[in-house]
Amino acid sequence: MSTVAASIKYNDKVVDFPLANQEENAIADEVLHENLARPTTERTKRLKARCRWKHAAAGEFVDAEVRAGIERMRFITEAHKASAGQPEVIRRALGLANILNKSTLVLQQDEFIIGYHAEDPEMFPLYPELAYMAVQDYLMSDYSPQPKEEAAEINEYWKKYSMQAKGERYFTQEELLQMYQVSTMEAPGFATGYNSISPPYETVLQDGLLKRIEMAHEKIEHAKREMQKIPWDATTGLDWIAKIDVWKAMIIADEAVINWARRHARLAKIVAENFETNPARKEELLEIAEISHRVPAEPCKGLKDAFQAKWYTYLICHAIDRYASGYAQKEDEMLEPYYNISVKEKSFQPMTHTDVVEMVEMERLKISEHGAGKSRAYREIFPGSNDLFILTIGGTKPGYVDACSDMTDAILEGARNIRTTEPSIVFRWHPVGREKTKRLVFECIRDGLGYPSIKHDVIGTEQLKYYSQFSKNNNGATDDEAHYWGLVLCMSPGVCGRRKTHKTRSEGGGSIFPAKMMEIVLADGFDWSYSGMQLGPHTGDPTTFKTFEQLWEAFRSQYAYATSKVIRAKDIMRYYESKFLQMPFVSSIDDGCMELGIDSMELSEQPNGWHNPITTVVAANSLVAIKKLIYDEKKYTMAQLVTALRANWHGYEDMRQDFLNAPKWGNDDEYADTIIKKFYEDIIGGEMAKITNYSGGPVLPVGQAVGLYMEIGSRTGPTPDGRFGGDAGDDGGISPYMGTDKKGPTAVLKSVSKVQKNQKANLLNQRLSVPIMRSVHGFTIWKSYMDAWEKLNIDHVQFNCVSTAEMKAAQKEPEKHQDLIVRVSGFSARFVDIPTYGQNTIIARNEQAFGADDLEYLNTQL
Amino acid sequence: MTTCKNCSFYFAVPENAGDFEAGKGDCVIEKEDAKGKYWLSKPTRNDSPSCKAFKTA
Repeated sequence: MSTVAASIKYNDKVVDFPLANQEENAIADEVLHENLARPTTERTKRLKARCRWKHAAAGEFVDAEVRAGIERMRFITEAHKASAGQPEVIRRALGLANILNKSTLVLQQDEFIIGYHAEDPEMFPLYPELAYMAVQDYLMSDYSPQPKEEAAEINEYWKKYSMQAKGERYFTQEELLQMYQVSTMEAPGFATGYNSISPPYETVLQDGLLKRIEMAHEKIEHAKREMQKIPWDATTGLDWIAKIDVWKAMIIADEAVINWARRHARLAKIVAENFETNPARKEELLEIAEISHRVPAEPCKGLKDAFQAKWYTYLICHAIDRYASGYAQKEDEMLEPYYNISVKEKSFQPMTHTDVVEMVEMERLKISEHGAGKSRAYREIFPGSNDLFILTIGGTKPGYVDACSDMTDAILEGARNIRTTEPSIVFRWHPVGREKTKRLVFECIRDGLGYPSIKHDVIGTEQLKYYSQFSKNNNGATDDEAHYWGLVLCMSPGVCGRRKTHKTRSEGGGSIFPAKMMEIVLADGFDWSYSGMQLGPHTGDPTTFKTFEQLWEAFRSQYAYATSKVIRAKDIMRYYESKFLQMPFVSSIDDGCMELGIDSMELSEQPNGWHNPITTVVAANSLVAIKKLIYDEKKYTMAQLVTALRANWHGYEDMRQDFLNAPKWGNDDEYADTIIKKFYEDIIGGEMAKITNYSGGPVLPVGQAVGLYMEIGSRTGPTPDGRFGGDAGDDGGISPYMGTDKKGPTAVLKSVSKVQKNQKANLLNQRLSVPIMRSVHGFTIWKSYMDAWEKLNIDHVQFNCVSTAEMKAAQKEPEKHQDLIVRVSGFSARFVDIPTYGQNTIIARNEQAFGADDLEYLNTQL
Repeated sequence: MTTCKNCSFYFAVPENAGDFEAGKGDCVIEKEDAKGKYWLSKPTRNDSPSCKAFKTA
């Protein structure tokens, strides 16, 4: 039997909570999520049943068949050797062209959106030109590309040319070792190859690549004419050389992409005419062939074209030319014109709304099969998922007009029906957003998907306007363009569209870890619990700190040191990206790069300066406990604390209980919140804002934990908040530490809303009561919560809606709970694919119910 | 020696294709594993020596 929430007295009446769907009364709590999937068609049901997930758990692939392919690394190496002496940007284009021309194509049974990025559907590509350490890890694993000897030889070849070799030169060995510990600082991108991008999909859909090629040709002709002018002026004339090379590289790349897509068209036609026996599928394959011949070469004419062109673009930008995590796009607005053509006007590729939902489900399953050749550390920090894939919907158009559409609804319906862990969805919340769509958002959350996560539409839009003022070429996002944004990865907003999008993670992204910094502040910068090395500056023996302010300043020094170092690493990476890792295809589809003849790795028009502090709340709660127990009440000395911490609290349990019971973040506690608000605004945001990054703007915090709260927790010794060494960190950017938000959901909102300065991009994780959310009042209560959240000017919130009973049942019998999805932090994961350590952190989160006091504060009308 | 040209899995690249080269073709083979059926297409040349998958029409 399903649990029903207890009645409460509210507004002088008794409120009962019967389930909205009475049939669920017969479903036990332990198996609820196994009863919620409803694929829209038999085809998507089959596709899901055979989905080739590439989930990782503790860094290992869950499916034993998954492995690295060799084709990409073979073909890019072959091209690199053959193109020696040519301009670097041309070499990059030739590298992409060689991969696309020679790679094996994959077409799977039942699929309508086609295209894959490796030579077998169980494989994923590797990127030796980025980081040889990441490839070396694969060579030592069961997933090694074959033949292994060839792969090893390729990796050896790239060592001297790789981004890793180039970036490492500008750091001392000590600095590199500090970063490679991944305990106060994330390892630099040049050593991990981790990346993110928001491709300008819109030019592909609207123009088609043939037009982009024509534009590049015209630019080259114009440049040549300028160079031929008499009298010759070298001060401007020589600038055309690099531009001509960039435009030439665009042409090479785009022609290769067209040929590659048309090879897919040939494959579909060959299979239709030579292998397929089902007449209906044969006809469909011929339609697929027609689509892949048309797009991305030509503009999209209908919705099927748009889905396919978008997919090919995604594969190039995120997996073939270079690895990049994410699925950044404003999908509903991008596809809405094609939805209108195909569904409303029925003038091309006519279909029903239900057909669109099926397309959405098929796209989600394509993403679910997408494998990422990322390094071990990054496989470890996204447990239970393939990678980070996040698309954005909802929000507003210029003038704060509702941007929700029937396409938005189709995306949400498809997500709710098919139930896949990826891609995650972000919904931009604004009061003008239509209720019909918000109800679908609710249904996804209520069904436990963990997405959409919610971002504050006005805050995000205003942030883009703020960053625009720092544009290096005075061409940042206009006020209108600032409305067209999506999240680049879990949390950081970036412009979408034809121009000014985020092109590489060296601008925005990357992490630092305050919990570990807190630990080393109490050891003069030395990491006694994990690496055994000096991780930061000598900030003094803490037992000599006479005042809390001395401790505060010591932390500031550690934080400033780490922050500047990781941003420097990113900017050095960016320097080399613009010299040796150009992306001519991305450049060709960006209007700015096309106009200016500047590669996408060099051009920065709209700054994106976000950087990610993870485990801030462990550090913040620690500062609160120290201030209260050592400096205010003087119950303990700093020496006693240091001694207890070095013993991992063993033998000091009474003392640990005092520190554990000190005021904690998320309870609307004035003592704790005053210190923590200042911590966020003065240090976490304040120190970051002093840094200027490649794009010319300040760096601001975008705290979101992904699975790093587990990874870093395991590398962080005991902390003064009462936490044992090795326990997980806090699971958001501004979320209360698991289990410590004891005053209900509105107390959490009140605490979080106190942080307002230079920080409005912090992740808030909340776990809501399943019986209340599934009751007849679920939507009303949640909607009033969201309206309050919006008015409190909080940037983000995301929800788990899954019972402890079901998670514990899944721990006992994982094979029976394949459809149980949970929100980790910034991404959703299949619960049974998360290591037990991580599963327990989700179970430990407080399940927030709504009492009469909460409902009164939210002004809920029941 | 048998070559790709004589194999039923060999399909010559049409002359109007962007990647057309004389003698170039697609090797298209059907595969099946526990998760289903799929087809692979690899570029080849008509004079390439045949492989283990060689099959006459």
